[in-house]
Amino acid sequence: MNSGKTAILAAISLFLFYALLILSLLTFLEGPRFLEVLSAPDTLFAVHLSVIAATLAMLLAIAIGLPAAYALSRFQFPGKKIVDTLLELPLIMSPVALGAALLVFFNTPFGKAIQEKGVLFVFEFPGIVLAQFATIAGLATRLMKTALDEISPRYEAVARSLGSNAWEAFRKITLPLSFRGILSAMILCWAKAVGEFGATVMLAGTMAFKTETMPIAIFMSLASADIPKTIILILILAGIGLTALFAVRLVEKRPQVL
Amino acid sequence: MIEVRGLNLSLGNFRIQNLNLTVREGTFNVLLGPTGAGKTLILESIVGLRKIQGGQILIGEEEVQHLPPEKRGISYVPQDLALFPHLSVEKNLAFGLRSSPNDLLKDGSYLARLVETLKIEHLLQRRPHGLSGGEKQRVALGRALAPSPRLLLLDEPLAALDPALKDEIQQLLISLHRSLGFTALHVTHDLDEAYLLGGRINVLIGGRLEQSGQREEVFLHPRTLEVARFLGLRNLFPGRVLKTGGAEDSTTVSLWGRKIVIPSSHSAKSVSPGEEVILYLRPEEVMILRPGKPVKEALRGNIFAGEIERILDRGTHRWVLFRPSGLDVHLEVSLPNYVFRNLGLQEGQEIQVAMRRESFWVIPKK
Repeated sequence: MNSGKTAILAAISLFLFYALLILSLLTFLEGPRFLEVLSAPDTLFAVHLSVIAATLAMLLAIAIGLPAAYALSRFQFPGKKIVDTLLELPLIMSPVALGAALLVFFNTPFGKAIQEKGVLFVFEFPGIVLAQFATIAGLATRLMKTALDEISPRYEAVARSLGSNAWEAFRKITLPLSFRGILSAMILCWAKAVGEFGATVMLAGTMAFKTETMPIAIFMSLASADIPKTIILILILAGIGLTALFAVRLVEKRPQVL
Repeated sequence: MIEVRGLNLSLGNFRIQNLNLTVREGTFNVLLGPTGAGKTLILESIVGLRKIQGGQILIGEEEVQHLPPEKRGISYVPQDLALFPHLSVEKNLAFGLRSSPNDLLKDGSYLARLVETLKIEHLLQRRPHGLSGGEKQRVALGRALAPSPRLLLLDEPLAALDPALKDEIQQLLISLHRSLGFTALHVTHDLDEAYLLGGRINVLIGGRLEQSGQREEVFLHPRTLEVARFLGLRNLFPGRVLKTGGAEDSTTVSLWGRKIVIPSSHSAKSVSPGEEVILYLRPEEVMILRPGKPVKEALRGNIFAGEIERILDRGTHRWVLFRPSGLDVHLEVSLPNYVFRNLGLQEGQEIQVAMRRESFWVIPKK
């Protein structure tokens, strides 16, 4: 068997592995309950909360990550490699550990001051957003840096020589040229935030109709041994995630202008 | 006038120290040098993309080294042209202008004239990715010239072109410069391109500006051995100065056991007796004597007998490799094809060559 066929076989095996996982869920699926669970107030609340929190976390990650990605892509500065490495921390660190670190932070004098005089994070909605942000910010920066790396700095150099200041050159040239990459990063990070559990559960807890995101709803229904409801919630979450991933494929598939 | 005074900058281990460069208004200048000489660094410093560590960059009387690129009024065409791929040709052209393209393209306007000269009217609505190499070059030049820059910097924009297209764009640059009269500094490592385009040529080697001058001056009279070697000059022979001055104001140099008397004005720098020098003799200036024909007075002092070792057909001319009798040196002689045919030369043939004293150029060895 040649190496090409071996590779294709490996891809098919991987697909079958995930397909088998999904199919196994259907074994316990109670069809008639699907619409009932889908329209239940707690499910609707979880979907609504997940979408709102993930959108806010994603926007925050893009707002901070884009300038950071630009700096990492375009400039040389002391400690750049350390910053670059730290960005990958959320990718290798367990989300539970990340959430625990956040929880510890809010028990330090500085963290307590933020809680007392600013915004309440622990066991509150802002905590969900912060936990999701902590999980996706590094990824967002990494993905946007990759998108910016693909755009030659010469475009901006020429734009500057033609009278545009640094911001105008970025807005008129680099941003439109890297838009597709940034949009992909936004969708991927949003999907990852929607599915985030570990950090959220540590910082925001598992309070029904308060901090009950979709993954927490799954955890809570499993804890109460309601397997059919758990499976329906998993399928809903998987549906949201797959739709987002498909959207990324659509964005990437559009013909290149370059 | 654009002036670079005492420019200092470094990148890693590479340094440019105390570099001075002058570009006169309305002239086409070439910054010529081998790869790694620092040409692009200088260009990026002038345009404002690279911070300099010392020195001044003046446009007219205004010091611009502290200004950001957008405030300098210098247009820049990089090697890859960097046409904005998401904008139409029209929008690329108008990028450096504050008005809308429609207003600027009105009949008789500067931009309309530029578009007409560049022959790109039919491309205005197209995107760069569908354009041919030549069309892209034209659009890039148009975009850079549209805001009427105080200086146009061209960073090897013709380097990746095939010979025919390169020739076409070189001709276009010459005619554009004649009709619009802009000030340009063109970077290249291509000697033919430099000679064709450069009214004034600046030779940069290893971060040092070795020579600046009119193109004939640089190509015919290199000031240093480094310049001569970079220009690919042949017939560089070591000699020793025997005498200087005298009634004829000449320099006498020993070459191949002979005394060659050369006018003092044909020396890159003043030399002293006993000094080691390099004599440069242009292959086009060496004459092959016809047997039995009288020799002009001016040639009688410098006649060498020897043998033709090889003849190479270079298409437009013949390259004759001549070895003087009893010497282990080779003199290269370039002959137009019709002269070669008239002489009926063959390899191994014994001949005599002669050169005028004014054909020699003395270059200090150090």
